Amino acid sequence: MTRLVRAEFTKLRTTRLLYGLAAAMAGFGVLTVVAGVGDAGAQGNPSLSADSLPMLVAGPVTQLAGAALLLGMLGMTGEFRHHTVTQTFLVTPDRGRVVAAKLVAYPLAGIVLALATLATTATVVVGWLAAKGITPSLLDARLGRVVGVALLGAGLCGLVGVGVGALVRNQVAALVGTLVWVAVVEGLLMSLLNAPSLGKWLPSAAAAAITSPGGGHLSRLAGSLLLAGYALALALAGTRLVVRRDIT
Amino acid sequence: MAAITIEGLTKRFGEVVAVHDLSFEVDQGTVVGFLGPNGAGKTTTLRMLLGLVTPTSGTARIDGRPYRALVDPVRHVGAVLEASSFHPGRSARNHLRVVATAAGLPLARVDQVLEQVGLAAAARRRVGGFSLGMRQRLGLAAALLGDPQVLILDEPANGLDPEGVHWLRGLLRHLADQGRTVLVSSHVLAEVAQTVDQVVIIAGGRLVTQSTLAALTARTEQLVWVRTPQAEALRPLLAAQGIQADPDGGDQLIAVGTTTEAVGQTAAAAGIVLYEMRAERSNLEDVFLQLTSQQGVRS
Repeated sequence: MTRLVRAEFTKLRTTRLLYGLAAAMAGFGVLTVVAGVGDAGAQGNPSLSADSLPMLVAGPVTQLAGAALLLGMLGMTGEFRHHTVTQTFLVTPDRGRVVAAKLVAYPLAGIVLALATLATTATVVVGWLAAKGITPSLLDARLGRVVGVALLGAGLCGLVGVGVGALVRNQVAALVGTLVWVAVVEGLLMSLLNAPSLGKWLPSAAAAAITSPGGGHLSRLAGSLLLAGYALALALAGTRLVVRRDIT
Repeated sequence: MAAITIEGLTKRFGEVVAVHDLSFEVDQGTVVGFLGPNGAGKTTTLRMLLGLVTPTSGTARIDGRPYRALVDPVRHVGAVLEASSFHPGRSARNHLRVVATAAGLPLARVDQVLEQVGLAAAARRRVGGFSLGMRQRLGLAAALLGDPQVLILDEPANGLDPEGVHWLRGLLRHLADQGRTVLVSSHVLAEVAQTVDQVVIIAGGRLVTQSTLAALTARTEQLVWVRTPQAEALRPLLAAQGIQADPDGGDQLIAVGTTTEAVGQTAAAAGIVLYEMRAERSNLEDVFLQLTSQQGVRS
């Protein structure tokens, strides 16, 4: 199993996907800092101070969860898109172990992506504050919470991404399907159910409960467990399909 | 002992029966050509043998076990399937490193097999820029990574230029001389005729014949090609002598399994004028075509 996870990391390291995503997220993180600094002191927002670090670093947290979801989905469906799955299953005919290795590797990759992005964002924030003569504390407990939430969200969403990819296989269908689900289907379900209390159990709401600073209707722990549950259910269903389907 | 055993193998895709009750064996240390026209079911059979496609019924085993039950399959069996199963953005070397890592093989093997297939110079280039021939070589490199005793190759000559086909023949011969078992598919008999000990011919998903190459060669026949304005009159006269003659368009006939003397005598006795006559020998490709088209008519 260890060697399969290592092989997944070798796959990740040897294409441009992870580096491209990391560069995009770093760029996005810097933009959120610029926007956050611009807003500081205006319209009742607190002005820049030593306490601003956690708030400014938290900018890309939600999008990091999305990037990790994308990474997991592309990693799983890419095997089918490029037909590398043939070679993968020749080496490891026990297909369940291949999916399991991805379920380990991609959440970790999502966490690495989140760490790299937060490090970039934090460096920019600290530099910016220093230029204004402010020295923030890196031992701020709220900063620790921001980092923890970002890593938890990215890890769980990486898991969901692999699950969706195993279930759908077709890369375009998986991407479009996920977008439609988040943007349209969940909204429709909410209005059809006509019960906001049920809506909080949907996957995006579970993800929001983890990443949104204000918190959703669910507690962070409940949201995490629910999202992990969705991820495992998707992965199990996906694995069943992957094991049965013919690789032609 | 049989290295590969296929028994009653059948695969349906909906209404289509791709492989129908196919059985054959490949002995250890032999090189067997797996032949048939396009769409005969070769690839489906090989994919069932490799555990990628689940048979509707029947079994396919390597060293007595289904592929999926092999421990460390890459060390037992090397396979080359389609030539396009690579991530275009990954280099040849990195592709093989992924395989080696997953299989628990030393990474030093990667450079050895790249050298063996003549790709050492292109090792660090992205596969996206590779020609079809280079991809075939990379597929072979991946198959050789685990130093397997059994090799299963699906149309490995596809996309190779004449120099590449020559190289492939040499490689297959070299692997066979080391006592490895090779099952190599092709839709062109000539591609593998110089390399294989035996052939398994399928058409329409069914076995046509399994024989040695020598036995197949023995099925080639002496033909006599005749041009005469009285072709229609000559045919029944030849038939009366027990000689089958098929029209070859217009005023031409091809008499099967006979000599120019016999045809000449028959024509002279009936006062039929011959403009042209020559002896020919059918070749392996003719035998192959004849075998596979007969099967095509029946199924």
